[in-house]
Amino acid sequence: MPTSPTIPEDKQINGVDDLILRFEQLGYVTDRALATAIYLVVKLGKPLLIEGHAGLGKTEVPKVLAAMLGTRLIRLQCYEGLDVNSAVYEWNYQKQLLAIKIEEKIEQTVEEKEKHIFSKEFLLERPLLQSILAEDASPVLLIDEIDRADEAFEAFLLELLSDFQITVPEMGTIKAKHVPYVILTSNRTRELSDALKRRCLYHWIDYPSYEKEMKIVRARLPGIEEQLGGQVVRFVQAARQLDLAKPPGVTETLDCAQSAMTLGKHRLDVQAVEETIGCVAKSMEDGAKLRAAGIEKMLS
Amino acid sequence: MAQAQHNRSAASVTEFCRFARENGLPNGVQQTLVALEVAKAIELSDQQVFALALRAVLASSKEEWDLFNQIFELFWSASQNTSGPDTKEEKPRFNSHRPGASPQALMALSASDSSEAEPEGKAVSGASAQQRLQKVDLADVPHDDLRALEQISMCLFRKMSQRLSRRRKLRNLAEQIDVRRTIRRNIPRGGNPIVLAFRGRKPQKQKLVIFLDISGSMNSYSLFLTRFAYALQKYFKRVNTFLFSTNVVEITDLLRTRNLPDALRGLSQRAAGWAGGTKIGDSLRDFNRQQGRRLLSNNTAFIILSDGWDIGEPEMLAAELRDIRRRARKIIWLNPLLGLEEYAPVTRGMSAALPHVDVFAPAHNLESLLALERYL
Repeated sequence: MPTSPTIPEDKQINGVDDLILRFEQLGYVTDRALATAIYLVVKLGKPLLIEGHAGLGKTEVPKVLAAMLGTRLIRLQCYEGLDVNSAVYEWNYQKQLLAIKIEEKIEQTVEEKEKHIFSKEFLLERPLLQSILAEDASPVLLIDEIDRADEAFEAFLLELLSDFQITVPEMGTIKAKHVPYVILTSNRTRELSDALKRRCLYHWIDYPSYEKEMKIVRARLPGIEEQLGGQVVRFVQAARQLDLAKPPGVTETLDCAQSAMTLGKHRLDVQAVEETIGCVAKSMEDGAKLRAAGIEKMLS
Repeated sequence: MAQAQHNRSAASVTEFCRFARENGLPNGVQQTLVALEVAKAIELSDQQVFALALRAVLASSKEEWDLFNQIFELFWSASQNTSGPDTKEEKPRFNSHRPGASPQALMALSASDSSEAEPEGKAVSGASAQQRLQKVDLADVPHDDLRALEQISMCLFRKMSQRLSRRRKLRNLAEQIDVRRTIRRNIPRGGNPIVLAFRGRKPQKQKLVIFLDISGSMNSYSLFLTRFAYALQKYFKRVNTFLFSTNVVEITDLLRTRNLPDALRGLSQRAAGWAGGTKIGDSLRDFNRQQGRRLLSNNTAFIILSDGWDIGEPEMLAAELRDIRRRARKIIWLNPLLGLEEYAPVTRGMSAALPHVDVFAPAHNLESLLALERYL
């Protein structure tokens, strides 16, 4: 049974509200639901699965969590065809080949040679192994876009998430000294396996309300004028109501606001939107839809 | 607050998990244990945080997440008024076998068993007859030809499934050098990579789920479509077959029996006592709730054999198909009526379903059934 992650004394969190406050200090505006989930991750050491549309700050959560706890963030980006070699560990083949060549003249049995070239010196640590090997404190492990990896990898993760140990056939089993905090994100391009979901806490991250989004804009762009910020947020929120192929997330709001600021705008008008439309609409069709819906109407 | 604290004691958390399970939030003992752990870890006085925490544990998708709030409210409001939650949501459609007449389709199935003993039909002989039979509409097959058609179809189905499995093998020849094993193999040769090791992608075994309509309107076809399912099941390893009209029943185990007449007899018994109409949406929903998680994955092809005449709600049909589409690799809808020239898929159910279907193809004769090979 793996032990819970270890938290340094001065990083102890006193309840959900304390966590919200600390996240806000680090520039991440969170709601009670997400804060509760993160609190449970820290307290119970359960993995957390965050699902939601793109651009809503899923990946940001573990980064801020790592900053708050003062530990390392280890990130594994998933993609189709991700295999154990690039996720867990790999042997440094070139170096092994060289070593074999160099040691050709040395009087050693095959077993001794083998033992040498399969030692830690030749092991390339990939993210999952790194997270297990952490020496001083529990790191935060981010497994990003797990829905892109295939089912076989998911099954492998299951094993890792329950035992926090990895077996390297040539070296034996490596058990985690400090169990990492695990956060998985998914864009929901496919349904994850039931077993994996059951092992994780779950949070669905939705588009923020006007107030929350304003708070985020203020936190991330401290210099922004209140009027401009309000207009941008209202505009993007209106754009989300349209049936766009890729609805704008919070990232797009921030991009749009930042662009307007950089262009020296004080308020968002039709011209300003036209100039920065690429921040909100990410395809030609979406741009056309925005224009068809009437930018002027959306701004009012 | 003492009352509230009492309500959230271990027993009530356990009770709540059970209640949630009955109301469509599937969770196991594991989740209950975590929920108890969670209840210990947070301040119980804060009702909101308590709810949020339980939601994080028990829900595992957006839909369940939305459902949770209702369940939570229902449970705690109920348990405040009475000693226990007895206002369970009505679940009308689950396993409610309505008494009624046996569907005629299955009667026909068992009736055809008796013709087994009859001498072979004389109407068919030779290759040209075989070709003719492949094209003839299954509903119009003369009685004399039935047995011959059956034999031809079994033979052709077998060939088809063999071709399919062979095709998979050939496709997976592309390989990469596996450096790791190459080095390992060549240590005795001083590390010179003389013998190469290769790796290829593990072949993904295709899974099939067959959903067969046996309602009255499918009467003339279900006779053969069941045989079709039997043949597929015989030659594919991972096939699950379901019959539906207003209810769903799994017949995978029955079709596994060695001889067809036995299987058909079993079928007519199992589906006995069903009403005659078709509720595709409801049937799919039952399937989704009970079996979907187990059977659907991204290498599953979901095959629906139905004419699309539906007395259920089209919205529900569309929603359930969407749900299946998200989990399965593809949805193939084989519709016998598509073979008729004047037919257009404009019935409410069919037009609601079409946007979610990957392949929409006819299934009115043997030839069209054999064409399934192309879509798999």
